[in-house]
Amino acid sequence: MLLPPTSLAAATDISIRLNLSWVDYLMLIVYFGVVISIGFIARSRVKTSMDFFLSGRSMPAWITGLAFVSANLGATEILGMAANGAQIGVATLHYYLVGAVPAMVFLGLVMMPFYYGSKVRSIPEFMLRRFGKAPHLVNSLAFAISNVLIAGINLYAMAIVIEAMLGWPEWVAIIVSAAFVLVYITLGGLSSAIYNEVMQFFVIIAGLVPLTIVGLHRVGGWGGLKDAFAKTGSVKHLSAWAGTAIGNVSNPIGANWLAIVLGLGFVLGFGYWTTNFTEVQRAFSAKNMSAARRTPLVAAFPKLFIPFIVVVPGLIGAAVLGNQLAAQGDATHLSYNDVIPKLIQMYLPEGVLGVAVTGLLASFMAGMAANVSSFNTVFTYDIWQRYIKPKMSDAHYLRVGRYVTIVGVLIGIATAFIAAGAGNIMTYMQTLFSFFNAPLFAVFILGLLWKRMTPTAALWSYLAGIAAPTVVWVSYLNNPKLFATGTAETLYGAIISFVTVIVVGVIISTFTKPKDVSQLKGLVYGVGKIDMSMDAVASDTAWYRSPALLGTVALILCVVLYLPFL
Amino acid sequence: MADTTPSSTPGAMTDAERRALVASTRRFDLRRLLGGLFLLYGIICTILGVVHNASDMKQTGGIAINLWAGIGMIVLALLFFLWDRLAPVPEEDIIGSAEQVEYEKAVGEAREVG
Repeated sequence: MLLPPTSLAAATDISIRLNLSWVDYLMLIVYFGVVISIGFIARSRVKTSMDFFLSGRSMPAWITGLAFVSANLGATEILGMAANGAQIGVATLHYYLVGAVPAMVFLGLVMMPFYYGSKVRSIPEFMLRRFGKAPHLVNSLAFAISNVLIAGINLYAMAIVIEAMLGWPEWVAIIVSAAFVLVYITLGGLSSAIYNEVMQFFVIIAGLVPLTIVGLHRVGGWGGLKDAFAKTGSVKHLSAWAGTAIGNVSNPIGANWLAIVLGLGFVLGFGYWTTNFTEVQRAFSAKNMSAARRTPLVAAFPKLFIPFIVVVPGLIGAAVLGNQLAAQGDATHLSYNDVIPKLIQMYLPEGVLGVAVTGLLASFMAGMAANVSSFNTVFTYDIWQRYIKPKMSDAHYLRVGRYVTIVGVLIGIATAFIAAGAGNIMTYMQTLFSFFNAPLFAVFILGLLWKRMTPTAALWSYLAGIAAPTVVWVSYLNNPKLFATGTAETLYGAIISFVTVIVVGVIISTFTKPKDVSQLKGLVYGVGKIDMSMDAVASDTAWYRSPALLGTVALILCVVLYLPFL
Repeated sequence: MADTTPSSTPGAMTDAERRALVASTRRFDLRRLLGGLFLLYGIICTILGVVHNASDMKQTGGIAINLWAGIGMIVLALLFFLWDRLAPVPEEDIIGSAEQVEYEKAVGEAREVG
């Protein structure tokens, strides 16, 4: 009944179609039954708009923390990082240990007190409090528009994979998944999204761990993997920092160590994890200051170990599938993105197969739900309430939130269908949106550290910070010789964006009028005091709940985990 | 912040209502849902692992992966149940968030609070 995937015939098969039995489908159906039930359970607790958009600020840290890591653990992320693992090897660890964990620690220790302490309901609202209306409007619109379109682009990416794995037509995959997201977010709002993210987190792990174990066994353990790479001459697959010396760059990313640390780690990583409301919203729903600060710190620990079940399968794929892999799939080649589905097909029998497929589908949907649930919050609180219909009852905003969710999902579906017809435009838009986080981080960090930074400076430096990487990117498209790889372009583009914001921000601030210091309490470092024990409960003081300790341990692990791969 | 978060409708709930609210919140604790889901998945995989042992071994090259994954998921499920039992959601958390409806409405309407 099952394919004989280890035979030579199957090894040259480039299809990733999975052979699901009724038991596997049963597991899938049970999972999505629970998803909808969670929607109904969460709905009974939604009494106010704050319940709908921020779970009434009532969640414990373990739930918000797992949701925080899970909102980023969409299937596109999983497949993409495994693809990186197959293509560039353990250097993919940079995306976790340089690009994510330090930023999460920074968010928990440094930025969260300002965010949670100022009681803002969204990231754009922090912009409003610190810098006023003009930058707030730009930030809100940029976030709302980009997020709903990204939801659609991810929906399309999902449809392609589902079609290849399960044989469902793309349009069926798009409609069915969007319908699930629509139902459970409209019912239960952020609580639904968060509970499902936590559930998805455990299911995707339950699917990927068996895959990694069987895969490693099949290649003869870690030693077998090493031998395989030694034979093919791609020894660099197992050394993360080889060829990153300044002036002597020969690594597959095409950037030296400083550009990796500053570009990926500082600007892109900090930009994404500390200012992307889709992520930070999870922490805003925590029940008190301590739980909010611990949210990204709790998330950092799973993040440290996820590469072992995502990147390692990528490495196994490179060793086992080797010359069948190519950047773009064609008639005789698999694309790098197909590594995980292909290994699932080869190694997982009925049963664990169902768990793995459920995990992948769940993570596709959780990713889209995270976009939708942050979009509806920003649209309702920051655009509708602030500029269109202020001073309405709370019930009004709750109702608007639900309608906006429906509209958001519909726009997402439309975007997915447009993407199906004009994929290139969508790729360009996605690249464009990726320019939004780095300058926002630069504006925030300057604004947090320097009380003299003015609202005018914030607006124009933010816009300049979006324009600068766009210019760099367009130049790169016209002259690909400018950078070694697309990834290198992204790193340098981000650094240029950050520097642009700081320079423009400082220059304009010197001859425009800053806000009065009395309005900056709790929004700027050293101005006013932030109540760190806000809503504290007795158990928050347990030593293992100390944010400083958790953050320090996470950072130490970042270094330790590199040691085997130097 | 306890003094700036008015429990807007003090005494609005009777004892019976409080008990019902606590019971219903705890009944659907996320840890119980996770426990239930993984118990079911674990049982399914374990049974398959026993029934299809030979074909599993052939595909995985000698690891009874369904058996191991099944047992692992059952253990995980039991841990979730145990955790839920040892550390149920504190009563004051449940009552507290139910009683601050007026405060939440004020925040939702972007009015100055506290």
